[in-house]
Amino acid sequence: MFFLSLIEHTLRLPPHLLNLPLDQAIKGELETLFLDKVIANLGLCVSVYDIRNIDGGFIFPGDGASTFTVNFRLIMFRPFVGEVLSGEVEESDAKGLRLSLGFFKDITLPAHLLPNPSKFGEDGKWTWDFNGTELPIEKEDEIRFKVHSIRYPPIPVEQEKDAKPFAPMVITASIDFDGLGPISWWV
Amino acid sequence: MGLFGIFLIYGLSLLVCKVFILRIYIYRLQTNAGALTNFEVLDFLRSRGASTDPTRVIASVAQSEFQVYDYLVQSAACNQTRESINEFLRCCEKFDLAKAEKINIINIRPASQVEIDPIIEDCEKRIHNDEVEDLVNMIVEVLPSSGKTGGTDEETVEAVADQEPMEVVLPPEGKPGGTDEETKETVAGQDPIDTI
Repeated sequence: MFFLSLIEHTLRLPPHLLNLPLDQAIKGELETLFLDKVIANLGLCVSVYDIRNIDGGFIFPGDGASTFTVNFRLIMFRPFVGEVLSGEVEESDAKGLRLSLGFFKDITLPAHLLPNPSKFGEDGKWTWDFNGTELPIEKEDEIRFKVHSIRYPPIPVEQEKDAKPFAPMVITASIDFDGLGPISWWV
Repeated sequence: MGLFGIFLIYGLSLLVCKVFILRIYIYRLQTNAGALTNFEVLDFLRSRGASTDPTRVIASVAQSEFQVYDYLVQSAACNQTRESINEFLRCCEKFDLAKAEKINIINIRPASQVEIDPIIEDCEKRIHNDEVEDLVNMIVEVLPSSGKTGGTDEETVEAVADQEPMEVVLPPEGKPGGTDEETKETVAGQDPIDTI
């Protein structure tokens, strides 16, 4: 679920941070820049793990800030395809479900990746019809799901007035397998 | 007027989304510098000062990191220790598992055969039924349970026989074994657990 990524970045350290020790100031700047942001193909940045190398400290002409080249490692949230994760139901509608992991809420579970004879009830819940037994997906259930694919859609240039907020990283999940779905189904 | 409208809407929609795409240029030296188990991330956040009690407001941990911490604390990683994970890795050498599958098992901690089925690819072809049972028994014995799914360890399907559901924290091994992990207090600066 989590990976380390080694990144090199040219960081401009604003002059108002000059009173802090260097590594603290750089760590603060990196956190402001990267924390809780999505980097395409790397995933969602969770935390700055450590700083490997700080180089530079040049001040460019006309600028009051010093520029450093920093090598550091970030903890990225990037599940691999086929990984089994555990999350909760956030939303449920006719097109499928939306799951959430607390810190990441853009996990879609489309209707075609639910186990085969599933139907959508009027109370807003999906139910799996397993050989006659009705197994519903309740809102408070802990759901195990398999990652089907991860997409990083490009930033839209224009959006309609009430379009959903743009999601830079979308995980498509599937529970069409033995042992997936609400844990109460199998235990 | 129309053009102004479009810019304003774009600006508003950006404000509404919580997560932004980074548009500055960074140079990726290594996209994958090591996989981390949930336990290692949890341990790292704990060493930075994250906790569930009200002293969390003083810790130097950001709000988004707290959300990750809250998620990990109620997952199977909350009771794990470095020793139990090393012990698990040592014991599962005889099953032919891929690195990703081992990490997945450590993160999810399946307690029955049906739970382990989606984790291992081509389960029936690669591992025989009794071996799967051995694997599940070993997992339940070595990795501590999260205590959340209460009595399921006791009344689980035939696969698990008579196991103690309490956490099993094994004493640290005398020899370092095949991994180069040291059980230090500080986590930062360490390399991830070697799961090969």
